Amino acid sequence: MLLRVDNLTKIYGRGARANDDLSLQVGEGEVLGLLGHNGAGKTTLLNQVAGLARPTSGTIVLDGRDPVADPAYARRVCALQLQAQAPLTGVTPRQAIDMLGRIRGGRRQRVRERTGQLLAALDITEWADTPGEKLSGGVRRLTAFCMAVVEPGRLVMLDEPTNDVDPVRRRLIWQQVRQLAADGCAVVVVTHNVTEAERSVDRVVVLDHGRVATTGTPVELRRRASGDLRLELTLTPGVAAPEPPSWATRTTVRGQHMVISVASAGAPQAIAWAQHLHASESVAQFVLNPISLEEIYVGLTGTSEEDHDAALAA
Amino acid sequence: MRHWLRSYLLLLRWHTIRLRYLLPLMLVIQTLLAVGIVVGFSFLLPTIDDATALYLATGAPTLGLITVGMVLAPQMVAQAKTEGTFDYHRTLPVPRSALLAADVTTWFATSLPGLALALFTATLRFDLDLDVSPLVVPAILLVALTATAIGYAISYAVPPAVANLAAQVIVFVALMFSPINFPADRLPGWLQAVHQVLPFQHMAEAIRGTLVAGAAGLDAVPFAVLAVWCALGLTVTLRVMTRRS
Repeated sequence: MLLRVDNLTKIYGRGARANDDLSLQVGEGEVLGLLGHNGAGKTTLLNQVAGLARPTSGTIVLDGRDPVADPAYARRVCALQLQAQAPLTGVTPRQAIDMLGRIRGGRRQRVRERTGQLLAALDITEWADTPGEKLSGGVRRLTAFCMAVVEPGRLVMLDEPTNDVDPVRRRLIWQQVRQLAADGCAVVVVTHNVTEAERSVDRVVVLDHGRVATTGTPVELRRRASGDLRLELTLTPGVAAPEPPSWATRTTVRGQHMVISVASAGAPQAIAWAQHLHASESVAQFVLNPISLEEIYVGLTGTSEEDHDAALAA
Repeated sequence: MRHWLRSYLLLLRWHTIRLRYLLPLMLVIQTLLAVGIVVGFSFLLPTIDDATALYLATGAPTLGLITVGMVLAPQMVAQAKTEGTFDYHRTLPVPRSALLAADVTTWFATSLPGLALALFTATLRFDLDLDVSPLVVPAILLVALTATAIGYAISYAVPPAVANLAAQVIVFVALMFSPINFPADRLPGWLQAVHQVLPFQHMAEAIRGTLVAGAAGLDAVPFAVLAVWCALGLTVTLRVMTRRS
């Protein structure tokens, strides 16, 4: 494992517990998606791995060494894209990416080539020579991404790299993330865009109040959820919701909308049941989908949010 | 050491590219300041004898260095902190001291045109004969470095809004209440005592002493006091730069 975090706890001066007994691993060639609400402790975790913050307790091993004892080493091994925008005032994307590649230790010729490749791969060559203050937020974010990965080191950590970026170029970012992993880097991506992450990450860690709420591949998480299919029914106005069938693992009704969790083995049964309701016109339409990671995520963090509120109220 | 030097040179280029768009503005400000002190202050004074001319002529470049190091530099640091540039640079795989050295070098280079302009204006206006000692180079370096080190220490240690206020206070104190443009004996006793400790008077004396060497010989005290302030400023700055939350 390139990065190994064990029982990491970080308590800030005011007593806020940003990370709470957190453990995770990332291997070479692996893309880890780090999900969680605002304030779940994602950025705090990255800062500790990159040697910018000191853990209260627990251990971090980065490529066999301790980044807490040797922060300069951590900065050499990690390429970190911060959540805040990179300093681009007065600088063009090409200059910024090129300079950062050199500062990160790259050779002149290689960095120049890589800069050109990245600009083309993310389709921002058009703005390559425009000063930073004239760029849109999205292009600035894409440039910051390039500045981090132009000389990626062994571990690349990206804090919400697709914010402000248009849908087409978001896909281009994810392609580059996959390419980094294919080249042997370990990649950690913090994102709120669960749907995108689902397509591109190998494994997911969901953080909740500084703790690991769950971890696994998207497929594993789906399997663990209460049934990995979802049957959504739109009820005909004025008609009462049908009785939940016995094979339904979970049923929710909100207004005209009824959602039933179904195990994949129960798919034929579910379709037959829905078709029957549709034929009798008690439902206007129905659709059967695999459960999305976003629903699992909301289920996980939403429930614990309620527990937390209940605990506070008690 | 090679890594340090490589980082330093690359960071120097990075800072230069980023600050290039500010340079014309800096030059204008410094020109106005230099000319303002030399010409403006002579309006305040009914007669200008040789001693007064000497103070104004050597005070102008000193104030130029103070303005760049203790006012403009900390204001830029405060802005960098607000914009996140400060945090960004903390993630770079370079020695912190190289980052600081490149920063300070950039500011020193920025203050040189103003310095030359101030001296040029003063010699024109007062028809002065300077007796420049070779020690003027280390003196200017030390004054510029000390001013920037103190400016940085303040702006790194306190929140941006406070740093901006502090910069305003510094320029006000330096301009009006420090024996830079006039002899110290015009100040009340207690303020003279304060200026024995503060760096302003010593900065002025280091510059004046090396621009007009004279027969009196060079006093070592200003250099010693400035070295202490410089070390203190750099220590605080580096401490804040390497601090981990």
